[in-house]
Amino acid sequence: MAHMVVAKHEDHEEAANDRAMFGFWVYLMTDLLMFAVLFAVYAVLHGNTLGGPTGRDLFSLPLALSETLILLTSSFTCGIGMIAARAGHKKQVLMWFGITFILGLSFLGLELKEFAEFIHEGHTLSSNAFFSSFFSLVGTHGLHIISGLLWMGITLFYVAKRGLNKHMVRKLGLLSLFWHFLDIVWIFIFTVVYLRAFV
Amino acid sequence: MSNHPHNKGEHGTTSSYVVGFILSLVFTAIPYYLVVEKIITGNTLLGVILGVAVLQMAIQVFFFLHLGRGPKPLYNIVFFAGTAGLILVVVIGSIFIMNNLQYNMAPAEVTKKLAQDESIYQVNGALTGACKEIGVNHKVTITNGKVNPLHTDARYCDTLTFINEDSIVREIAFGPHPRHDIYGGQSEQTVRKNYSKIITLNQTGTIQFHDHDDPTVTGEFTVTK
Repeated sequence: MAHMVVAKHEDHEEAANDRAMFGFWVYLMTDLLMFAVLFAVYAVLHGNTLGGPTGRDLFSLPLALSETLILLTSSFTCGIGMIAARAGHKKQVLMWFGITFILGLSFLGLELKEFAEFIHEGHTLSSNAFFSSFFSLVGTHGLHIISGLLWMGITLFYVAKRGLNKHMVRKLGLLSLFWHFLDIVWIFIFTVVYLRAFV
Repeated sequence: MSNHPHNKGEHGTTSSYVVGFILSLVFTAIPYYLVVEKIITGNTLLGVILGVAVLQMAIQVFFFLHLGRGPKPLYNIVFFAGTAGLILVVVIGSIFIMNNLQYNMAPAEVTKKLAQDESIYQVNGALTGACKEIGVNHKVTITNGKVNPLHTDARYCDTLTFINEDSIVREIAFGPHPRHDIYGGQSEQTVRKNYSKIITLNQTGTIQFHDHDDPTVTGEFTVTK
């Protein structure tokens, strides 16, 4: 009898998990549509520099590659952290997600450094259509990274404070889904914005 | 929860993450190497790097998001496929329509610029200002704020290269300071440190140029027919 109650409870948990996952998945797909529109805008406007410098004159490929490798590694450490979360190892969760957090922060630092250099050289959102679309696309991704980092920081704080329970594991699952998603969007920014400028 | 039969394939194992990570590294290195080394160029290169990006997306969706692994998340796949379809329509449609629009309905000065870019020297009998044939190349070097030579004599449709050997960026503007004229459809030229910029001399006359940030850096060129 007691066993049946536990099984029923687990099924209920599983269904709640599925619903949360699907709901979040729907959000990610609509977010992806927004990115698609920003990509389309960039693809159409990236040549309209009003006689100013183009992406080829300004972008640094080594910087873009570093950002890509950092974010990719953070996506990997986030996945490993998720395995630890499902196995219930609190210390490992804190370690792997901690590494993910630091990598995410370094990525954000590099991105802000690049933005600051552009703005320092006088290229702002309103300079020309190229910069408007560039800052909108890459900046929107950066805002997602900031939200992800805030979310990660808060979740890790509660994991450290209250320990790993089922709700925390579910939240970490959604968070890791979000983080992998941001890495996938970045692959296309790396290709369409940075690599493409040098083709 | 951890011994539930569904969980294994669905959430991935350490090895699936390691495989996904290594494959992603490889598919990041390949396009980077191709672009830096320029083994292939132009549209072929563009096609290859976009293809590799899509491949890397597929790898991460499979190994990191675990879409399509385990028995359940079929609705996730359907939703993903639907979104992918919408994205293709939005992105490819926008690029196609906007390029067409820019090409066919551009205002006169843009048409002129397009004609110059594509070296079409006349449209319906009217000259566009593009050069039929490019002449010789002249060089102007900026070293320690000194312009050498101060004066360049050139023929119509020669080219002029600005070489910046200083450690600061030069904003070459046409016209005497503080004017910023348009020369032959070309506005200021940003020449980064240790870089050069080439312009086509498609407008006759004697034209002064100066560095926008340091007007003492100035010179001129004369273009005759």
